[in-house]
Amino acid sequence: MRLGRKTGIVFSISLIVFGLGYLAYGNFGKNLVYFVTPSEVVTFESDRYGRKIRVAGMVVQASLKVVPNTLKITFDLTDGAETIPVAFEGVPPDLFKEGTGAVVEGFWDADGVFHSHMIMAKHEEDYMPIEMKNAGMTLPTKGIIKTLQVK
Amino acid sequence: MIVEIGHYAVVTALLLSMLGVAAPIIGLKRKNAAWVQVGQRALILTFVLITVGMVAMIYSYLTEDYSVKYVYATSNSKLPIFYKIAGLWGGHEGSLLLWAWILAFYSMAAATLHWKTQPVVMPYLILMESIVLCGFLLLILFLSNPFERIFPAPLDGKDLNPLLQDPAMVVHPPLLYLGYVGLSIPFSFAMAALFSGRLGEEWVKVTQRWTLFAWICLTAGILMGGYWAYYELGWGGYWGWDPVENAAFMPWLVATAFLHSVMVQETRKMFKVWNLFLIILAFSLSLIGTFLVRSGILSSVHSFAADPGRGVFILGFVAFMLLLSFGTLILRSAKLKSSVTIESVVSREAIFLFNNLFFLVALVTVFIGTLYPLLMEVLQFNKVSVGPPYYNAVFMPVALGLIFLMGIGPYIPWRKTTAKNIKELFGLPLMLAFGAGVLLFIFGIREEYALASMTVVAFVAAAIFIDFRKIALFWGKRDRVNPFLGFLSAYRRNPRRIAGLITHVGVLVMIVGITFSSLYQTEKILIMKPGDEVSLKSFQLRMATLHGAEGVNWEGKEALFDIYQEDRIVTQMRPQKRFYTVSQTPTTETAIYQTNMGHLFVTIPEVSPDGTWARVRVLHNPLVLLVWYGGGIMGIGGFLNIFRRDRKRSVVSVASGVTAKTAPSLASGRDGIVAQRSES
Repeated sequence: MRLGRKTGIVFSISLIVFGLGYLAYGNFGKNLVYFVTPSEVVTFESDRYGRKIRVAGMVVQASLKVVPNTLKITFDLTDGAETIPVAFEGVPPDLFKEGTGAVVEGFWDADGVFHSHMIMAKHEEDYMPIEMKNAGMTLPTKGIIKTLQVK
Repeated sequence: MIVEIGHYAVVTALLLSMLGVAAPIIGLKRKNAAWVQVGQRALILTFVLITVGMVAMIYSYLTEDYSVKYVYATSNSKLPIFYKIAGLWGGHEGSLLLWAWILAFYSMAAATLHWKTQPVVMPYLILMESIVLCGFLLLILFLSNPFERIFPAPLDGKDLNPLLQDPAMVVHPPLLYLGYVGLSIPFSFAMAALFSGRLGEEWVKVTQRWTLFAWICLTAGILMGGYWAYYELGWGGYWGWDPVENAAFMPWLVATAFLHSVMVQETRKMFKVWNLFLIILAFSLSLIGTFLVRSGILSSVHSFAADPGRGVFILGFVAFMLLLSFGTLILRSAKLKSSVTIESVVSREAIFLFNNLFFLVALVTVFIGTLYPLLMEVLQFNKVSVGPPYYNAVFMPVALGLIFLMGIGPYIPWRKTTAKNIKELFGLPLMLAFGAGVLLFIFGIREEYALASMTVVAFVAAAIFIDFRKIALFWGKRDRVNPFLGFLSAYRRNPRRIAGLITHVGVLVMIVGITFSSLYQTEKILIMKPGDEVSLKSFQLRMATLHGAEGVNWEGKEALFDIYQEDRIVTQMRPQKRFYTVSQTPTTETAIYQTNMGHLFVTIPEVSPDGTWARVRVLHNPLVLLVWYGGGIMGIGGFLNIFRRDRKRSVVSVASGVTAKTAPSLASGRDGIVAQRSES
């Protein structure tokens, strides 16, 4: 009798744990988004077209174009070595502008354009995507002294 | 000069906190209470000295002393006074100082309040608190010193991040830290119980209010952060499963589980090791949360700086605390075999077990999602991120399960119950819930999760209402007063239970808000010129003008919208696009119109350079206010619980033998009986 109760508890616990574990496992892989650099994107084979990824890079100066009367903008994203064109539809964040670091989420397609629906920009002035830092790139730093001279 | 005084005060505080570590150890070794007293005095002085440090920093903010590097980085002479003070926790260094100050405050309070009543615990409490304090002061003084000066002194500051120039952001960090750090007190008591071997129910009872207070602050801090994100980021959502949000949410999950499971220990003397484990885990997660946010390894709004030295130090410190606490738990818990076992799957203790299980599954889910990307990066694999759908998929069933248990746990008797009893208890609520589900379906609610969650909410609401009504009538009749006063008298007799149930009501309200605002949000994004119109739900928005606007430290554009409902103008809304001139940052200011607990939410994320058109985002968030109102009710329940007056219980031991059926309240079991007897 005692064993029966214990089994009941153990059984219900395992049921919950396995159920939720399965749910978590199933959704985990599906929702992993990989970070890549523009250099990696340009080497993509067709099997990776259309898969959701994030690309980190710098928005190239003078590349930002607004498509009139739509919510579309286009710009180029670079990691120093390679540059990819990005077509974005939606509302870019406040801090998104040319010459700053940005992470774009979307997919690369056969047309050779990165289609994005989400841009993440960082508000730290000296922010740059970590991939680019690893690649040894540096930003023109605004030193304290320099700031003072401007004042 | 003042800043130097502050600096030296904090240096002295560090030395004193080291004394706070050493003195109780010597006291324990020599069995000399005087040393413990030395430790206590050291803690009190540490608090005073860190306060001096805080005041010195605030002084330099108010006197605009930009030769202090941190003040220079987070303030500006144009800032309103309110934000000048808040600048102190607008960056990394000051946040840590605030952390340490709150920790010192809690330590001092606990060491003074419990000095007489908990003499055995005291040396260990002082020891543990001093260790944590010591760690944080080392970090502040050597790796992120807010008192550091720069030369030559800049004329003006770089300005506080405009996104943080907001009332919600002024109170969000202090509240969150009050929550995080507050967990250190029950943690220290638990460690004291482990060290001293007094592993009974005492530490659980003493720390109950501390945990509750920390929990309330943590809840409020998280909700405040959500509210800020909601309108200040102009995003329209309040929760994005961002790693930093998760860092605050994880200790909350465990603290909530702990608040529930201690009740089992108090009543049934079970879950002893489990409770120790939970509180140690909760505080460890606070430390891990601080590590995640402050080390800069997460690139998000909250990570002010990425300094490897800090990261390594905090990681080392967290590892040390984890080893110390969990190591002690493992070594000491062997003698803690619970003499009582769960007798039935349908008993209150079993429900508590499932409650804890759900909370822990939730924790593991968030933990993996937050740390997996970091692990991948450290191991030099691909850099990845885990998307919100993962969390949502696991969380919705967990949340539904937890809410369902809220309708059962408080009413089902301890030990075991009969089928008849269950029918009596839950028959009516189940029928009402089913009815509510059918009604909602008829009224056009077709989303599966909305239907499921509202049905479960209806079930719990019915169960709570029936219980409240029953006890109100019972005590009303007994004391010969009306049911309302009867309810108050029931509250006086068993305040903890009623306060807990009020918190549950808050949760229900919040769930309704979350369900509707997330599943029934409607959105339109479009480009508008003055004169253009757009309609959303029952609203028509007409952009009247698009004009320039300016404030003390910003300039920008403002759009004026006339809002019509059924061709009648109901309000005007003025969303703005600001540009903060000092920090050179643009922000989007939201305009919100409240409508039946919901919000009409308008932003202009982009204005054309010539000012002729604006990109407009219009959102309708039904019932979104209930999220925060629910939080408010949860807080009220929590405070009622903290400030409750426990009645002296004259009869305790015999009560457990009596079956729950005779209880006056709907199976409130022992509690009800005890109340009844002590009355007679």
